[in-house]
Amino acid sequence: MFDNLIARAIVPVTIAVTGFVIFGCILLYSFVKSDMTAESLQYLNNCADTVIKSTSYAMMEDDRHSIQNIVTNIGTRSNVEFIRIYDQDGTVQFAGQDEPEGQSKTVDAHIDEFLQTNIFTKETALRDIDHANGHITVSLPILNESSCMTSACHFHPEDEQALGFFTIAVSSESLDETLSVLRYRMMIFCVMVLFMTIGGVTALLRMNLFLPIIRLTYNAEQAAQGVAEGDLPKSDHKLGKLNKDFRLLVKQRDQALRDIEALRTPDRNVDDGSR
Amino acid sequence: MTQETEIPLPDINPLRKQVKAKIKKLELHSSTGLWILALFTALSMGAFRNFDFLPPLSEGIRAALGAGPPVKYINWALVVYGFSAIILILTQMASDNKPRGALAHFGYLGAFYLFYHFSEGLSENFWAIFVVGLTILGLQSYHVWNYYHEKIQEQTEILQELDKLLD
Repeated sequence: MFDNLIARAIVPVTIAVTGFVIFGCILLYSFVKSDMTAESLQYLNNCADTVIKSTSYAMMEDDRHSIQNIVTNIGTRSNVEFIRIYDQDGTVQFAGQDEPEGQSKTVDAHIDEFLQTNIFTKETALRDIDHANGHITVSLPILNESSCMTSACHFHPEDEQALGFFTIAVSSESLDETLSVLRYRMMIFCVMVLFMTIGGVTALLRMNLFLPIIRLTYNAEQAAQGVAEGDLPKSDHKLGKLNKDFRLLVKQRDQALRDIEALRTPDRNVDDGSR
Repeated sequence: MTQETEIPLPDINPLRKQVKAKIKKLELHSSTGLWILALFTALSMGAFRNFDFLPPLSEGIRAALGAGPPVKYINWALVVYGFSAIILILTQMASDNKPRGALAHFGYLGAFYLFYHFSEGLSENFWAIFVVGLTILGLQSYHVWNYYHEKIQEQTEILQELDKLLD
């Protein structure tokens, strides 16, 4: 099956192109997935920061009712699965809704990690994405800002870096859907590229190489059976010198045959005349 | 009057045996590509399970090895390796050179699995290594099969000529 010229030319090209295109698409998908995930996490991080900023006045005023209202209202959004504010000891102070079982471990791990951390900066954040269960979780420390320390009503000393922690988790359904659409589009693109490449290579090889060789093989077969050069089917010029030389050889053979015939004919005439 | 004595032909049976032994050897060589492909598939099955059947590395060895390289660097290394390996094998095929390096490719691919495993990026990038590995080793085994198949054909023709002489 693989032991002919056509297979030998097409099989390696097919394996190489198919493999490399699929490999390239898988890797590209992996890059795009990681970029989109990072972008989603950064976006949620910014949203979490906005929530902290929007509650800062209520926190400074120690207006627990307003803080609870803000948290509850955000929690009513359909894609928000979990929202909580913890104090410095990791105890829940405000919760948007009941805690789903899935996120409990992720959030507990975040809070435990914060409790063991001594240095907090504006960049401190813990982010997690769980594609299997469809959650994106971000936890941030609520930092002790200068306005908190200098405010007359406030009691947090300067050396306290974090006043509490904020955690929000949203559904990753929309991100997963986008990735799924991207995956299908890549598969279609992959199949299209494969068909075009393999089909194109096969067509070009067939047109410029295989058909001229098949014609030359047929001509050689005919010539071997004694067909004269003039009676051989006309061939194209795609094989160049090879084709010309082959026809020249057949022509020389025809000429040699004619010469032998001519040499034999006078002898026969002489023989006939002597009788 | 001179009498022409016919010189007896040397015994060609040892030569036939040699050719037959060579054909067998070539047949064995022609299947090495497929063996390595099977070995790679077995390794990939282990990698798919994140090597959970192997005992975990002790903390001491982990510390001695240090942190794994970032996954994106390994990805780029894999792209460069995959591209170069395919080009090299195609060049080998085009120049009809003796196929070499299948075992080395198996080693490189195994190393990629290990790097991804230690950098905790194996589950995300498993299919990329698997596909590039199948492509490289598939091309290599096709080249091995093709190369040795031609050699077998040459030897078979020699054997047929020897058989004619025997007759």
